[in-house]
Amino acid sequence: MQVSGTFLAFAVLSLLTIGGAVFMISFTRVVHMVISLGVTFLSIAGLFVLLEAEFVAISQILVYSGAISILMLFGIMLTKHDAKDEGVSKANKGWLSILVVAVFFVIAFWGIQSTPWVAPPDNAAAVQEDNATQLGVEIFTRFVIPFELTSVLLLVALVGAIILAKKEEDNE
Amino acid sequence: MDTIMQYAWLIPLFPLLAFVLIVSFGRQLKETAAYLGIVAAAISFVLSVFTFWARFQEGAIDYKLPVEWLQIGQSVVEMGFEINQLNAMMLVIVTLVSLLVQIYSRGYMHGDERYPVFYQYLSLFTFSMLGLVISPNLLQVYIFWELVGVCSFLLVGFYYFKPEAKAAAKKAFIVTRIGDVGLFIGIILLFWWTGSFDYSVIFNAIAADRLEPWMTTLAAVLIFVGAVGKSGQFPLHTWLPDAMEGPTPVSALIHAATMVAAGVYLVAATYPLFLASPTALNVVAYVGAFTAIFAASIGLTQRDIKRVLAYSTVSQLGYMMMALGVAGAAGYVAGTFHLMTHAFFKALLFLAAGSVIHAIHTQDIFEMGGLRKKMPLTAGVFLIGCLAIAGIPPFSGFFSKEAILGAAYSAHRMDLLWVGLIAAFFTAFYMFRLYFLTFAGERRGGSAEAHESPAVMTVPLLILAVLAVVAGFVNTPFAPVLHQWLASGSVGAYIAEASGGETAHAALWVQVVAVLVSLLGIGLAYLMYVKRSVAPDLLVRPVPWLYQLSYRKYYVDEIYHAVFVRPLRWLGLFLNLFDRYIVDGLVALLASATNGIGALHARLQNGQVQTYGFVVLLGLVLLVAGFTVLGGIPNGQ
Amino acid sequence: MIFDVSLPLYLLIALILFCVGLYGALTKRNAIVVLLSIELMLNAVNINLVAFAKYGLYASLTGQVFTLFTMTVAAAEVAVGIAILISLYRNRDTVNVDEMDTMKR
Repeated sequence: MQVSGTFLAFAVLSLLTIGGAVFMISFTRVVHMVISLGVTFLSIAGLFVLLEAEFVAISQILVYSGAISILMLFGIMLTKHDAKDEGVSKANKGWLSILVVAVFFVIAFWGIQSTPWVAPPDNAAAVQEDNATQLGVEIFTRFVIPFELTSVLLLVALVGAIILAKKEEDNE
Repeated sequence: MDTIMQYAWLIPLFPLLAFVLIVSFGRQLKETAAYLGIVAAAISFVLSVFTFWARFQEGAIDYKLPVEWLQIGQSVVEMGFEINQLNAMMLVIVTLVSLLVQIYSRGYMHGDERYPVFYQYLSLFTFSMLGLVISPNLLQVYIFWELVGVCSFLLVGFYYFKPEAKAAAKKAFIVTRIGDVGLFIGIILLFWWTGSFDYSVIFNAIAADRLEPWMTTLAAVLIFVGAVGKSGQFPLHTWLPDAMEGPTPVSALIHAATMVAAGVYLVAATYPLFLASPTALNVVAYVGAFTAIFAASIGLTQRDIKRVLAYSTVSQLGYMMMALGVAGAAGYVAGTFHLMTHAFFKALLFLAAGSVIHAIHTQDIFEMGGLRKKMPLTAGVFLIGCLAIAGIPPFSGFFSKEAILGAAYSAHRMDLLWVGLIAAFFTAFYMFRLYFLTFAGERRGGSAEAHESPAVMTVPLLILAVLAVVAGFVNTPFAPVLHQWLASGSVGAYIAEASGGETAHAALWVQVVAVLVSLLGIGLAYLMYVKRSVAPDLLVRPVPWLYQLSYRKYYVDEIYHAVFVRPLRWLGLFLNLFDRYIVDGLVALLASATNGIGALHARLQNGQVQTYGFVVLLGLVLLVAGFTVLGGIPNGQ
Repeated sequence: MIFDVSLPLYLLIALILFCVGLYGALTKRNAIVVLLSIELMLNAVNINLVAFAKYGLYASLTGQVFTLFTMTVAAAEVAVGIAILISLYRNRDTVNVDEMDTMKR
């Protein structure tokens, strides 16, 4: 039995990822949930490294583990400080959701299993060592318009979030 | 003068114009609305006289102006107008009587708050009646036929706040409708068989023997059914006496002189059709004869002055029908001749009766009496009318009645002759019973002080009285002007040719007997109600049921009520229940089912975002699962 | 037996993450948890994108570029979502999803 280092790393990271996700679902305190989700995000960053996407991995850590998790914590603090999730909502029977999600899982799994994945040709050499440089070139050449649009989107989200979260002073 | 006929279409137009104007400005015009109607009728009358005069010129041909209205496949439906001998005469009669009645109404209706409405209806009626008369085809006839029916309905129900008037209006409308259905079927059948509504096309088809005998008979009888409804012939006569609930001028115009004569006119106008079918002619003759004697026997015992006149109208219309039923030019001429004289003297009688009612506010003849002293003029013209209708020479009724009896005699229809004589006796008796009870002797009741009517009412009476006297001279046995004139028109010529009609006048003994019979009736009435030497209940005492039978109009209304009205009411009740519980129940069920489904769906819209998300996921899973089982997205192969 | 890392394994990981996120989004009452679950689902998709960028038939950097875009959009979404939540909490004093049904009325 031969286990490569990559595989080992993959196994550990994926276990952490799934474990974090499952814990997130099963914890009751919201703060714990956020922390376990942070573990998941970090593990996913690890997976990105395994997939030779270093820039994306860094971005993942910065955006998700950093910004979004902190934002969530702020959200919790600004609403209910010690918010607990009171379990499954009344609207749905939990087991029904589980059933449907399970069916979905089975179907998708069957789809993954039955698809004959073809390995990429060796000369594709798409992913190279100097990953970040290439990514930068791609973004500012081929994807420059989506990129600019994204910046607009971020600006709009920024302004919208400020307006929404602002106290309505004129009402008081 | 020929050109005047081209403008004959203006004749009905003036009353229509008056109608429109009174409808528009009636409220402002108040009683001046009468002048509009009168002026319009006067113009129409003058035009009619010119048209009539034009018809007397040598070689006047029938004038006809068709305008294409509709095209259905191969057949063209036309509108337009036609002037021939018969309807030229009718135009004069209708416009004249309408004019006089409208003048008279100025006095009679004075002070009524719906005065403009009355004139509005009268103008509409005059328009419809004139339109009916000049129609060149049966479809147009039918349209105007219904229009006069509507006017009759409106005018009978003029005092709509009286329940009797309301019921009478409804009865008039519904009973005539039964006849109208027959007429309509007849018209449709003729159109089906001949491809045209036009008189002349239909007559040509008959002359060319293109119709089977049974077809001709069926169509003729169906058209006659329409005439039966409109002219109040048995068994559809019941509406006409009830129609006396309307104002008296209306009774004179519509229910004596013009509209009820429309049935007779229709039979006369389609006479070639009847000539082709002996069966249909016999139906006409016997229905007419039976109505004549049947209505006359009812008239003997009625107590209401207008009802006596109404039954007399029904009886006289039966007379006309009987005359038309006697095949040949003689019968045709006699029927239309009597139609004309009857229009004058019956309008006169009704208007005179209206004058009486206007003066003393009652219609019961046993509460009248002795009115001759207070109302000499009315009494005089009423007497003239009675003499005319009783057929005493030289009044107009004598000549027309003599023409009818003569036609029956020369056609060897002795049964009809006897019926005619008996009806003449009844007529003379009840008319003079009416006259003596009303005007002779002493006042028997009623509180209102009698007085002579104003000039606006008596002048039309005088004009009509003159006409009732002299109208008969247009067709005397010595100078049958009307006969020759009618026979000179195209339809008249056809009839004369088809029946080989020479001027048929009765043997002298028939004339003598007819006059004697009338005098006998008058004498009997005199003895009973003036001298009182013969007890009026001479016949009543031994056979009281006979009197009751006559007084209650042979229980025809009661029989109709039991046979038709009651079962129909039950049917209506049943249908009502059916509608309420079964149809409405189904509708309610449907509504509540829809409601239920809606409520069910409203439960789905519970505002829970997660539920929606769940449903979306469920749908996606089912879709994907379905495709997986099927093995991919079917691409239509 | 050689255990090697291959495309299906990544896809499987992503699928599991996605399903967990889906379940959480459909059932959790707390709106913040629902938001977290949605982030989880987005991340699962990101894994797929990057995995295909390496192992896909036409391996290229496009997958990674798209991942970056997804992150941006997710960040914007979370920012606006949290803002909405705070605003809602201020007005209705709740963060429970099943009490946010005013659209129904």
